[in-house]
Amino acid sequence: MPLDDQTPGQKPGEARQFKVVGTRPLRPDGIDKVTGRARFGADMSAPGMLIGRVLRSPHAHARIRSIDASKAEALEGVKAVVTRADFGAGDDDVADILDNCMAGEKALYDGHAVAAVAATSAAIARKALKLIDVDYETLPHVVDVDAAMKPDAPVLHEGLSDETVPDGVSQNVVHRVEFGHGDVEAGFAKADKVLERSFKTAATHQGYIEPHACLATMGTDGIADLWVCTQGHYMVRNTCAAILGIDQGKLRVTASEIGGGFGGKTTVFLEPVALALSRKANRPVKMTMTREEVLRATGPTSSTSIDVKIGMNKDGKITAASADLRYQGGAYQGSPADMGSMTAFAPYDLENVKTVGWDVVTNRPKAAAYRAPGAPMAAFAVESVVDELAKGFGLDPLDVRLKNAAREGTKSSYGPTFPAIGLEATLQAAKDHPHWKAPLGPNQGRGVACGFWFNFGGDTCVSLNITPDGTVTLSEGNPDIGGSRASMSMMAAEELGIPYDQVRTVIADTGALGQNEVTDGSRVTFAVGLATIKAARNAKKVLCERAAMVWGIDPEAVEWADGCARPAGDNAGKFPPMSLKEIAAIASNTGGPVAGHFEVNAEGAGVSFATHMVDTEVDPETGAVKVVRYTVFQDAGKAVHPAYVEGQFQGGAVQGIGWALNEEYIYGEDGRLQNPGFLDYRIPVASDLPMIDTVILEIPNPGHPYGVRGVGETSIVPPLAAIANSVSEAAGVRMTDLPMSPPKVLAAIQNG
Amino acid sequence: MYDFNYHKPGSLADAASAIAGAEDGKLVAGGMTLIPTMKQRLAAPSDVVDLGGIGDLVGITVGGGTVTIGAMTTHGAVAASADVKGAIPALAELADNIGDPQVRNRGTIGGSIANNDPAADYPAALVALGATVVTNKRELSAEDFFTGLFDTALDEDEIISSIKFPVPEKAAYVKFANPASRYAMVGVFVAKGSDGVRVAVTGAGDDGVFRVTEMESALAGNFSPDAVSGISVSPDGLNSDIHASAEYRAHLISVMAKRAVAAAG
Repeated sequence: MPLDDQTPGQKPGEARQFKVVGTRPLRPDGIDKVTGRARFGADMSAPGMLIGRVLRSPHAHARIRSIDASKAEALEGVKAVVTRADFGAGDDDVADILDNCMAGEKALYDGHAVAAVAATSAAIARKALKLIDVDYETLPHVVDVDAAMKPDAPVLHEGLSDETVPDGVSQNVVHRVEFGHGDVEAGFAKADKVLERSFKTAATHQGYIEPHACLATMGTDGIADLWVCTQGHYMVRNTCAAILGIDQGKLRVTASEIGGGFGGKTTVFLEPVALALSRKANRPVKMTMTREEVLRATGPTSSTSIDVKIGMNKDGKITAASADLRYQGGAYQGSPADMGSMTAFAPYDLENVKTVGWDVVTNRPKAAAYRAPGAPMAAFAVESVVDELAKGFGLDPLDVRLKNAAREGTKSSYGPTFPAIGLEATLQAAKDHPHWKAPLGPNQGRGVACGFWFNFGGDTCVSLNITPDGTVTLSEGNPDIGGSRASMSMMAAEELGIPYDQVRTVIADTGALGQNEVTDGSRVTFAVGLATIKAARNAKKVLCERAAMVWGIDPEAVEWADGCARPAGDNAGKFPPMSLKEIAAIASNTGGPVAGHFEVNAEGAGVSFATHMVDTEVDPETGAVKVVRYTVFQDAGKAVHPAYVEGQFQGGAVQGIGWALNEEYIYGEDGRLQNPGFLDYRIPVASDLPMIDTVILEIPNPGHPYGVRGVGETSIVPPLAAIANSVSEAAGVRMTDLPMSPPKVLAAIQNG
Repeated sequence: MYDFNYHKPGSLADAASAIAGAEDGKLVAGGMTLIPTMKQRLAAPSDVVDLGGIGDLVGITVGGGTVTIGAMTTHGAVAASADVKGAIPALAELADNIGDPQVRNRGTIGGSIANNDPAADYPAALVALGATVVTNKRELSAEDFFTGLFDTALDEDEIISSIKFPVPEKAAYVKFANPASRYAMVGVFVAKGSDGVRVAVTGAGDDGVFRVTEMESALAGNFSPDAVSGISVSPDGLNSDIHASAEYRAHLISVMAKRAVAAAG
């Protein structure tokens, strides 16, 4: 039977005609979320449940001499207290994660967990925390990335630097990476102008609305269950099993509805602690974080310090480009300096390019992934210099980008050669858009910038089951943070030739499916979509076999079209088509239930590019910046549900606006976070923003049956740069330090 | 929450005796500051006396060149009042820009001024307009009422019943809001009335609301933005915090004052 990527009757090379994909059906979680019926992390309770709370370090850096929990344990209602002593040595793979969840020898940042309590009420748990006596020896601390690299900086971990780190820098530098090709010095020598600038960006938090929460149950038999708000419950299972020293198969994890993650929920914080408390107390334990805990102890992104040097000819051609990118990733190794170094010049076709990235530890919470980790800061620095050079030569900044744009066949700055990509399409769409030609008002400026993200595939397992009445349930293993239930249902419906509302997609627990990579890397619509399509094709194969059995013909002589099995041609015999419902109804008599499964480590995630255009207005007397118009141009490959795609474009732009203008982790001299709350740490809200306009480009990804590319992350890469370019034009002075808060912008204007 | 005694008297007199009889009592109006403070254990009163049951404390009346606003009148009610909009539009506008809708529908003018948060909006209006604070015991001028950071002239058992605002010839309030909390980083209320011009600043002073007399004199002779644009305020005694330095706040005072004068017309 023919089961290729074409619709019946479609000629080779012709674009596929979709019936469901590309439409905008109602989202399946809409009613639940609007009515409050949706169950989030903190919405689950169990009989006999205890409440867990965490004691956190008030010091930025301190040796833990001893912890005396005897008074807390004696308090009525306290059922368990755990410290690091309650955890084994654990796997090396999870050593840092465990140490971040529960400090060992040292507390490494303000807010670092040092003990936890489970009690019969939240009030008793809070009271118990005050009774735990921790003897700290405070140590000198460092929170700034440049300061942490200096040879005399306070050291967090002795001997952590690997062989890539040169002599003469602090042991806080864990790792150094280098990418590029050609000879940058020779390239700079050929340039009409070489411009070098330094940039700084502040740490910002993912700012998800739902704080971390979970409910853990672990019995004396070693069987455990966990309900949790996460971006990847299979990851939670594997990580917690490794930390607690139990078999992965003994721990079943169920993902709750999720109120945002943006990368910040791709690791664990409370989960192993809740399980350890439950194991010790032999009771279910529920834990939720306050917003203050979220800000102090969960992953913000890196703060950075970046130098960029670009040589350009007066016709706009870049002759060479280099960057030195320093990222602090908090108290443990693993900042996204490598990603920043790989993405920095990815939009450009460069003969000579070199990037060097430095992974640095500081006394701050361990950085977690944040939407295209590492890329927005690098793009901010690079796109600012490209913009300044272009304007210096009196050239159109979009023309300069088009002149140097990476295209199919370009050897990328980080190694691979690009297949068909959409950067030029986004730049051309930007140039043709009315926004580009619209007049600007007084004190306004317009900025553009490009951005790139790799996108990812990874381990994926789905199961598509057809019920006796012919409706379809699809089980996937990835929490839905961006509309994946809708898009999976749409792709299954498209493939099976049935209406969207005949498919329900559920997020299955870890007992139901094989390993699934976390919801990260903009992978889900691509990888889980690919697996869904293949699972549907496998189900169609079974459906065709059942029809063949009824008709008494060869299964190869049956094809699936428009939701029905049909004889493939006149020679196959003349039988009326059998619908999915009809075949489902007789499934029990023709061999049993009908299902389709698919498992894959998905490759072929198409890279993605975007161009953003933004107008800002600067108040020259106060330095306040207002975003007045914003348009996103991005390649989606194929937009399965365009409304969700637009939402991803808008969301990325909005988080970028916050990062560019307001958001900032502010530390005091004592190394403690000064603004751990939304009254002092402002994420943008609707009243801060104009409508974010979107233009979806569709340059199909050859690696996906429908051409899908991930869209979730690329949209946060260009905004920092686009806004900085816009503000720099409006203020008449180049802004190189984020956030561009009013005092900073005013000072820049006054200092000229 | 911990245990405390809750009282909801129906009259000002009962409220006064409840608070007088409490070991460590606190009055609660809209609760926009006291409740979160109690939740954080920064306050732990033995008794909370809720003024929400005293109907006499709510309402707005205009007459004889005076706007009288009951202490328990919410910001939302002031913002929406046709009487206030007609008599002192700057006051209605100020109320309309306090916090967010939730705060405006719970928070009250009496609660705000009794708390005397250095970044609150109302203190600037009271001082600039030359308002009178009426309590169960006496009447106080706004300037005598506000005594310092989170501090007022109120006695322990003294309760605000209303605030009387003389209707000015012209007035305007302009603030530079903190982007997160919407509290005033600097707010300047300018009013021209029968007894001259007053310029009151909130958000900036270490000690709460204050007047800028140099600007007042300049405006008395020439009520125009130009009259104040050249007058700078010393950063000495101004707030410096994570949001802005004292120097930036000093700069904003001149800018906001100029804009307020322009808005007042």
